[in-house]
Amino acid sequence: MSHKITRKMDLNSADFYVEVEAPLVAERFKAGNFTILRSNPQGERIPMSIMKAEDGKIAMFIKKLGKTSMELYKTLDTFENVIGPMGNPIDIKKYGNVVVASDLVCGHAENYAICEALSAVEGNHVISYQTYPTADEVYPDEVLADKVCDEYHLTTEDGSRGEEGHYIDLLEERLEKGEKIDVIFAGGALPNLQELGEMTKAYNVPTIVTVRQIMVDASGMCGACRVFIDGEMKLACIDGPMFDAHKVDWESALRRPNMFVEKETVATKLCKETGRC
Amino acid sequence: MAKLKPRVPVREQPVEERIHNFDSVPYGYNEEEAIAEAQRCIQCPNPTCETACPVNIKIKDMIHFIAQKQFKEAFLLTKEDDAFPACTGRVCPQEDQCEGACILVKTGQPISIGKLEGFAADWARKNGIKEEIKVPSTSKPKKAAVVGSGPAGLACAADLRKYGYEVTMFETLHQAGGVLEYGIPNFRLPKDIVEYELDALEESGVEIKLNHTVGQNIGFDELQEEYDAIFLGTGAGAPRFMGIEGEKLNGVYSANEFLIRANLMKASLFPDWDTPIMVGDKVGVIGAGNVAMDAARTALRLGAKEVSIIYRRKMDFSPARAEEYEHAKEEGIIFQELVNPVKIVGTDRGWVKGVEVVNMKLGDKDSSGRPRPIPVEGTEHIIEIDTVIEALGTMPNRLFLSKAPELKTDRKGIIITDENLMTSIPGVFAGGDAISGGATVILALGEGRRAAKAMHDYIEGK
Ligand SMILES: Cc1cc2nc3c(=O)[nH]c(=O)nc-3n(C[C@H](O)[C@H](O)[C@H](O)COP(=O)(O)OP(=O)(O)OC[C@H]3O[C@@H](n4cnc5c(N)ncnc54)[C@H](O)[C@@H]3O)c2cc1C
Ligand code: FES
Repeated sequence: MSHKITRKMDLNSADFYVEVEAPLVAERFKAGNFTILRSNPQGERIPMSIMKAEDGKIAMFIKKLGKTSMELYKTLDTFENVIGPMGNPIDIKKYGNVVVASDLVCGHAENYAICEALSAVEGNHVISYQTYPTADEVYPDEVLADKVCDEYHLTTEDGSRGEEGHYIDLLEERLEKGEKIDVIFAGGALPNLQELGEMTKAYNVPTIVTVRQIMVDASGMCGACRVFIDGEMKLACIDGPMFDAHKVDWESALRRPNMFVEKETVATKLCKETGRC
Repeated sequence: MAKLKPRVPVREQPVEERIHNFDSVPYGYNEEEAIAEAQRCIQCPNPTCETACPVNIKIKDMIHFIAQKQFKEAFLLTKEDDAFPACTGRVCPQEDQCEGACILVKTGQPISIGKLEGFAADWARKNGIKEEIKVPSTSKPKKAAVVGSGPAGLACAADLRKYGYEVTMFETLHQAGGVLEYGIPNFRLPKDIVEYELDALEESGVEIKLNHTVGQNIGFDELQEEYDAIFLGTGAGAPRFMGIEGEKLNGVYSANEFLIRANLMKASLFPDWDTPIMVGDKVGVIGAGNVAMDAARTALRLGAKEVSIIYRRKMDFSPARAEEYEHAKEEGIIFQELVNPVKIVGTDRGWVKGVEVVNMKLGDKDSSGRPRPIPVEGTEHIIEIDTVIEALGTMPNRLFLSKAPELKTDRKGIIITDENLMTSIPGVFAGGDAISGGATVILALGEGRRAAKAMHDYIEGK
């Protein structure tokens, strides 16, 4: 059964928004879960973060990079499969002062979902940080997390809109001043999540981050998504996708996603030449 | 006694051709060859082949029918005991079962029972002969759920349907078939054969719900509420890694990942199909069972220049099917015996460049009845390879078990069942690799059917 795409729009020069009919996923989605997409009957199984689920549909932010996503962006109006929800949701409970931070496409989707879930819990003060490189690349207002949190910070690295700087530096300033933050949830660029973890460790702030890895079955049968947490092998698909940033073996987590880059470049090139994307 | 004729050989794809494609290696018998082979059977009064068959196929009569050119009868008779003879004819370890017990084994020329079984099933498929399925009509049929669509689940679902149940099968992947689809390569078990069986199952009225992971996007508790009986055929699909230094390097795969990419996701057809696979020039496969043979021969077909099997014992003790070992040798797979990996070494950029191994010698027998391999100190050396595939066996899938804590398992996560294949939860049955930790297709099929019968008896209150 294929899934109808009900809305597509550009988010900025690199990313786009997709809304698709997926009743089972929408009904059972909880913040932290992801979905597995296959764009066509020959498609790859790709994990994707979910921004929100409503009326039998889910919304996602996707990067226009690689064959599958380019094809989706340009030519497709259905998905072959939208599977899940997969992975573990976050623990939705009272934490106190919660920071939710992101600086990249999937991270921004998670940011929205986590803020929405945690701000509904009494006793949480949910602070959202969304960092973009520059004003022109900031997503449209309707998808920003300002509507679903208690305190919102839009930041750009060049200061052209909102506060100036990356969320890591801005958070460090707050911690340095002795502000109490009970937990941080973050998603986005992996190297930055490593840096965030190194920073918050010094302040002893629990930091839970999405360790995005390549997946195949996403049900614990292949080991493609293996990550090492405190020296122990874990599978991002069934044990994650979020882990304690202070315990992740970042060297391998940063390296593994590059395993197929060479091949992916070939596929994208061919796809472009044949006009599929 | 007339002089015994030798086995009728099975025609095969020539080596130089087949190492470049994924088509079936054996072509199978044609009618004349099958009849000639069947006529070699001496029709023993006490057919030991039948007792050695895990599901006790009536082999003697099957062979007799083939010898008489009664192929339809041969097929239908086989079907009585074996849900998928076209599959088992190709993947059973016949040399340890029926053919190993054939009286002619002493001559070195036992009857090719597997090939005859496969022939009868292929003949039926090509000639549109199907087993007639009569589903008893009941005004209010009872409902049964089958979790997992591997051979155990498929066999169970087929029989439950025959008993008149409304059967729903749940499969986590986007394709049904379990290991038959995602694990065993097409050159050994052509996928049109598996898909033919899946179609027949759906035609009989079994509903297959793909992309449904029990315990993840549909609760085990929901199934328990909705269905009168449940069968767990979740297999043992979780990969095992050696846990040695260097496993985090790029270029290290579990055999499961490698085979899922190649088979289920058709990485051999990349970039027409989207899923990529990286195969280096020199591939080392660790382990020597069927899975290792499949991974090695797949790597060769994907373009590797040199593929080695790295095994800590000698090949005489390998659990692989004899035919696969022979085919692998013919195809030029290198066998590095009596060496055990101690660490994987990498380049500065984090890719595999070799595996350090230590020589082994064989000691006294261990619990598996095979000589225990013992490391020989000071013999460490490096085998240069750029891709490592670990084929060390698998474990039960944690995902489902973690969501069903009330289900009793052993320490390894193998589901515990009683003599009727019922688990610690009344009304919930299990079979296949989920209760053995990893065995064979024929055992999974047999247990699926046995469980269906037990489920029926349970519901009928017998
Ligand atoms: C590469 C390879 C080669 C092999 N070669 C041979 C051979 O030559 N001869 C032989 O006899 N045996 C062979 N085997 C072993 C044989 O395939 C297995 O013993 C057999 O498939 C077990 O069947 P099963 O139905 O128990 O499990 P499986 O075939 O593993 O099927 C289990 C199914 O359950 C699904 N599942 C798991 N958890 C869930 C869940 N929570 N919800 C929904 N679905 C779920 C899985 O996706 C899978 O499809 C081989 C195995 C492999 C991996
Ligand atoms: S994606 Fe296969 S184990 Fe996680």
